Amino acid sequence: MLNQVFAVAGRVLRQLVHDRRFLALSLIVPVLLIYIMAVFFEAVDNPIFSADDFIPPVGAFLVHFLTYVLSAIVLVRERTQQTMTRMFVSGYRRGSIIMGYVLAYTVLATLQSLIVIIELQVLFDLGFTTLRFFQMYLVIWMLAIISIALGIFVSNFARNEGQVLPMMPLILVPSIFFSGMIVAVDKMPAWVGWFSFLTPMYYANNVIGAIIADDTVTMLLVWLLVYGAVVMSLAVLTLREQN
Amino acid sequence: MTETVVVEKVSKSYGHVKALNGLSLHVQEGEIFGLLGANGAGKTTLIKIFVGALKADVGNVRVLGLDPEKQKFDLRPRVGYMPQQLALYDDLSARENVQFFGTARQIPNLKKRVDEVLDFLALGDRAGDPVYGFSGGMKQRVSLACALVHQPKLLLLDEPTTGVDPKLRESLWSHFHDLTQQGVTIVVSTHQMDEAFHCNRVAVMRGGVALATDTPRGLMARGHAKVTLWRDGQAETHQMTNYRDELPQLLGVQDSVSKIEVEEDTLENVVLNLIAVKEVNHA
Repeated sequence: MLNQVFAVAGRVLRQLVHDRRFLALSLIVPVLLIYIMAVFFEAVDNPIFSADDFIPPVGAFLVHFLTYVLSAIVLVRERTQQTMTRMFVSGYRRGSIIMGYVLAYTVLATLQSLIVIIELQVLFDLGFTTLRFFQMYLVIWMLAIISIALGIFVSNFARNEGQVLPMMPLILVPSIFFSGMIVAVDKMPAWVGWFSFLTPMYYANNVIGAIIADDTVTMLLVWLLVYGAVVMSLAVLTLREQN
Repeated sequence: MTETVVVEKVSKSYGHVKALNGLSLHVQEGEIFGLLGANGAGKTTLIKIFVGALKADVGNVRVLGLDPEKQKFDLRPRVGYMPQQLALYDDLSARENVQFFGTARQIPNLKKRVDEVLDFLALGDRAGDPVYGFSGGMKQRVSLACALVHQPKLLLLDEPTTGVDPKLRESLWSHFHDLTQQGVTIVVSTHQMDEAFHCNRVAVMRGGVALATDTPRGLMARGHAKVTLWRDGQAETHQMTNYRDELPQLLGVQDSVSKIEVEEDTLENVVLNLIAVKEVNHA
């Protein structure tokens, strides 16, 4: 099992290293988007949202968005190019494939999260203590890994790239509007709460809110972890061998 | 002789489209068995059923004595599968591709085995190069190497020579014959009629059924010959099913025939006739 996990992770990492344009874009795009946000907040004298409260979750959302979209597309490509079938026929098991992918993209997510958190600190001077800075990094890192599993899970229901694209907003739109990032969930109708529970941003945003308010974050981190474990299990269980 | 593959009355549908429709065939150990038919004949579906990548709706399939659906984890280490699409990672080298697909099998001394199989397919010199720079034929050979790395007893090849130039095609068939010498059984699908002559036996497939299963010679014997005789400057034409026996009887001992022309059916004509007979019977 472990042998297979490392083989898949190694192969995905080698592909990432070979595809330098993809690697560069994955790291540069969040940097660029955060910089555009900084320019926006600087230009608006009295912004609608407080930059201090709004920027950290938006930074986390950018990482979530990119890793989720990326992993969904990559997995669908494995299916359309028949390499997924070949992996199964060659003896790879479902759990090994998923864990291998998550492990490989964790390396990318670690780097991506680090760049994002450093840029947020530099551009917006968030004023975090070392502990809070580390906690913020941990949340963004966990969110990135969960987003990979979520992308894999969603891709399991698509046969090609054309089918996976319309599935993207199903997670991303509730992540923006129903996660509490813009408007608190308790200010919206009760049924919206159910949508928010389905998005990783809801759990991540709760932790980020607690970090900003200097509250305890342990239990909120546990909920994020539980959500990640559920998504990971669903990704493994729903990975289909056949189209 | 042992039967490596047994297929009995197998059907498989995709929605209301019947890909296989009560198909039966048997593949003997050590032979090259061809699945000959146009696109949509059901060849790929059948091969995917053999590796447990698809499930038959009804019917019985045994591959190397195992049920490919229920015992796929026991079966797959003994089967090599080359899909119709190349199913390779273009940005990895030939060696990395073969090594990756071989790793799951826990092959002892994998690196040595990878080099062996790449050398066997004349890819040793380019083993470290990324696959995206390879020609179509070289990619086919890398794909074949991935299917061979674990030394399977049964090799399932889905249109391995499609888009390959004639020289490389001959070279691939030569490799396939070498493999049968090593005791490997090969099931190969193709829509190119001339490739049937490389096989020991062929199933002509159409609409998910095997119209005929025979040796290439046996199939040819089902054809007709158009025999034209010239007597006293006049041409007369005869259709014969077996001209080698029929012609001497027609000529007699003393005959004034000055010229004989024989035009035998090609395998393509034989197959087209089989299809036509089938369609008339169904009408």
